[in-house]
Amino acid sequence: MERTLTDALAGDAHLLFDGGMGTMLQAAGLVAGEVPELWCLTHADAVTAVHRAYVEAGSDVVTTNTFGANRLKLAGAAAVDDVFAAAVACARAAGARYVAADIGPTGALLRPLGTLSFDEAYDLFAEEARAAARAGADLFIVETMTDLAEAKAAYLACRENTDLPVIVTMTFGEDGRTFLGTSPEVAAVTFDALGADAVGINCSLGPTELLPLAKRMRAVTAKPLLVQANAGLPHVEGDATVYDIGPEAYADAVRALVDAGVDLVGGCCGTTPAYICLLDRIVSGRRPVTHAVEPALTVTSAQNLVALPQGAGRIAVIGERINPTGKKRLQEALSAGEIDYVVSLGISQQEEGADILDVNIGLPGIDEAELLPRVVEALCGSVSLPLMLDSSDPLALEAACRRYPGIPIINSVNGSPESLEAILPIAARYGARLVGLTLDEHGLPATADERLAIARRIVSAAGDAGIAPERLLIDCLALTVSTDQTQAGETLAAIGRVKRELGTYTTLGVSNVSFGLPERPLLNATFLAAALGAGLDAPILNPGSARYRDTVNAYRVLNAQDAGSQRFIERYADWTDPYRAHTAPAPAHASSSEGAPAQRDTGAQPPAPDGSALQRLVISGRKGEVAACVRELLAATDPLAVINDELIPALDEVGARFEAGTYFLPQLMASAEAAGAGFDVIRAALPADAAASKGALCLATVKGDIHDIGKNIVRMLLENYGYRVYDLGRDVAPEDVLACVRAHDLKLVGLSALMTTTVKSMQETIELIHREEPEVRVFVGGAVLTRAYARAIGADFYAKDAAASARIAEQVLG
Amino acid sequence: MTAPSSTATPWRALAGPVRYRLGQTLRVDRAEMLRYLGYAGQDMDDGLAARIERVARTVEDESQARGICQVFGVEDRPHAQTGTPSVHLTGTVVELTGDSVRRHLDGACAAAVLAVTLGAENERRLGTLARTDPLEAALYDAASSALVEAAADAIDAALGADAGALGLTRNGRFSPGYGDCPLTAQRPLVDALDATRAIGLTVTPTGLLVPQKSITAFLGLFDGEGAPRDAARTCARCALIEDCSFRKRGARCYR
Repeated sequence: MERTLTDALAGDAHLLFDGGMGTMLQAAGLVAGEVPELWCLTHADAVTAVHRAYVEAGSDVVTTNTFGANRLKLAGAAAVDDVFAAAVACARAAGARYVAADIGPTGALLRPLGTLSFDEAYDLFAEEARAAARAGADLFIVETMTDLAEAKAAYLACRENTDLPVIVTMTFGEDGRTFLGTSPEVAAVTFDALGADAVGINCSLGPTELLPLAKRMRAVTAKPLLVQANAGLPHVEGDATVYDIGPEAYADAVRALVDAGVDLVGGCCGTTPAYICLLDRIVSGRRPVTHAVEPALTVTSAQNLVALPQGAGRIAVIGERINPTGKKRLQEALSAGEIDYVVSLGISQQEEGADILDVNIGLPGIDEAELLPRVVEALCGSVSLPLMLDSSDPLALEAACRRYPGIPIINSVNGSPESLEAILPIAARYGARLVGLTLDEHGLPATADERLAIARRIVSAAGDAGIAPERLLIDCLALTVSTDQTQAGETLAAIGRVKRELGTYTTLGVSNVSFGLPERPLLNATFLAAALGAGLDAPILNPGSARYRDTVNAYRVLNAQDAGSQRFIERYADWTDPYRAHTAPAPAHASSSEGAPAQRDTGAQPPAPDGSALQRLVISGRKGEVAACVRELLAATDPLAVINDELIPALDEVGARFEAGTYFLPQLMASAEAAGAGFDVIRAALPADAAASKGALCLATVKGDIHDIGKNIVRMLLENYGYRVYDLGRDVAPEDVLACVRAHDLKLVGLSALMTTTVKSMQETIELIHREEPEVRVFVGGAVLTRAYARAIGADFYAKDAAASARIAEQVLG
Repeated sequence: MTAPSSTATPWRALAGPVRYRLGQTLRVDRAEMLRYLGYAGQDMDDGLAARIERVARTVEDESQARGICQVFGVEDRPHAQTGTPSVHLTGTVVELTGDSVRRHLDGACAAAVLAVTLGAENERRLGTLARTDPLEAALYDAASSALVEAAADAIDAALGADAGALGLTRNGRFSPGYGDCPLTAQRPLVDALDATRAIGLTVTPTGLLVPQKSITAFLGLFDGEGAPRDAARTCARCALIEDCSFRKRGARCYR
């Protein structure tokens, strides 16, 4: 039986790939650190000989010597086009039946941890993909990926620039995750949803260690699986590098992989034709078993998979707090481009137990298509939960969906033709899951019947776009019961019918129900319980609300999601039921922790603070007690006097101690935090138009530099000293600093660089600012800088430490 | 290079590459962590001391440190492109330029190259704390710096023991960026160790290591007791000598 690529990718045939290329080239004389891909041009015969040996060993597919043949790694030594042309020619010359173009990582880490953007990575891969297609490759193997975002960029580049099949494999360590934290399930689900022709695992470990990881992939995808393991680990013996697993042992382990449902086999580092010819015997005459997985709603981030198997009754909580509607602080943050605040909302919801985060940044005047991808990228650096991208702007949804590392939920489409037409193709293209609102161009219908009809229309249109019901979350929408008391019942009835009749999942924001009534959290939590009972799968709520959390935690015992009630017991074994506590003199509203958590100690015993007490608190860095103390003072003192007579002198004293060496950095920072807590109270007490800001500046770690701890400390200090700080982050281009200066009419800029190599871009930034905005002053800091060096690159001030930056700000801004 | 027999070049038994999963075996040197924070004997209240201790333990508990070490032959030869004197690591494309490297490896029979990293999770934690809690971030950063030094120490020590058994001695660790050794040496060293694949270490176009809490270094191996005292670790050739905050309070940035 001939093994064909078409059959193999349809799951009907095994296919044998080749083994290690680097291993073979090293044996032929390639030295460590050399660019192996250049051998396609300089040692074409040697490369062809490797391919031929694999063809003779039985490989159906040989993989081109192009692992690192991207513009970044080739670094001008050869053109990408030329390398691929030569590489495919080598494979063809060896008589390969199928030639797979190899696409390995760029070698640079993507944002947010690294500096390469998703789009830059995509461009590098797209250049490779087009070159490979032009050279006549038959398929792609995107391999040895450790970053889900980079793998996705490579996949999309191959998919969108060619018509060839694409296989994606990632590399996992002993802990079952990639270096960047992706699990086999996340990788398999993500590339299955994106439409890869096959998924799998390569490199890093031996075949025995990869078996459990392959089984985990097999459990979540019906796609063909490719596994290319290493021959164990290398060591040098004499002059040769040898691997610790021999061909026989390797073949035995691969047999176990095939028995476990692996369809496509081959080898990676350390495997040679001697290994591959033994694999030929394993797959010859054998047909893969048919794979099937239980339908489930799956959503991924680079680190997490949230799965709700159909019919299992599990629930997932979607955190709603990243949504500016009615939230003044978030509106301000979004308008000022203060992404850190948005991220902090994500971090806190993760800590509070959310499973998925809704991300809505819609505000008048905000370019969502520009901002949403940046917010999503920043969130992905600090939060491991999958995201629900929430926007009414299809451009913003596509921009964010495309770059999102994983499979997100799109929120939302509705039943209107216009919405279906705009949103369904985006969800289809990126494998996204999708919220369908049961409203249309005529508005929100009043009855469950009518909502079901709209849902049916959405399911049908989604089906036509290739989106199966288990990818949909229908939102039956909750209305206010104080307006129409029958509405809660209609929503609950609709949820039940959607689940039964359409086979989709359901989501619902529950808090609307209680508008206009007292003790809203009580009503909301009760409605939540009723909706969960009706079959709601993914409630959208504020996970910071203890009342919601109690309902969710209790429900997860009843639906058996909390196995053995373990988490419930852990959480509530020592809990005091607020109803039982009502006879005690404790606050009556202890259970509704919304808004004001744990401030019971304030005002318990009036400390009668005088000025020196506040100063002592600041100087000793006791942040927790400062707010109460400042409130006391404000009762009798002018706010500006508290700043000028209390906080500033205390900070001056702290600065003097730091300068004298009697304080060290953490003490300086603790005092600044304490003062900052005081400023917060004062600001809240002042009328909005009398904001007590001492002036604004921007800070940046310069282009090419990624070390930002020093810059972060300066920011923290200056903010707590009362300055408004625009923090542009790290690896910031000179033009972006200038743009910020102009946007906010700033007079002071602080730049940080930690390495000699990046001081050059610091100089470029200073020159640009001085040329374009001559009145703006620039101060610089960082480990490699000296006073003389700072002067030489044109800086106006040199900040030898964080405290010095505060003095500079005072000198320039007052 | 002719390949001498392994009896004449005992270092070949050390060639490797040896991979290390150091994980939770490492300890944060508290004194070193404090030194990174600028501590010079100041009075510190119990709350701060306890907080520093807690962060040090967290960093130890969360450690996913990995490393790799490989030993290469060395030869003095002109740089292939520039013709300037350089040290070539045999069997690789690495050519280390600069007087300080040549001094450091002068008389060495081989060079051990090591790379360690605390990994992406540590990097992510640093970034998250920077957004939410700058003081905690400063402490976490200092503890992580101390921990990655400990990771390099652990490999260094293992290498020292193995070398000693073969009658070899080693000198101190030397990293790109020391003396006149340029940061552009980072990429060839990382590539020669295949460290991106082995431990997830990458290099930016500007020669910076990502994850940030990573170290690459090489050290000389010498026949017998021949390891000269390490020349790199003095202030004399340091670019920061004039404005060094350590020196100002009578300290040094190295041990």
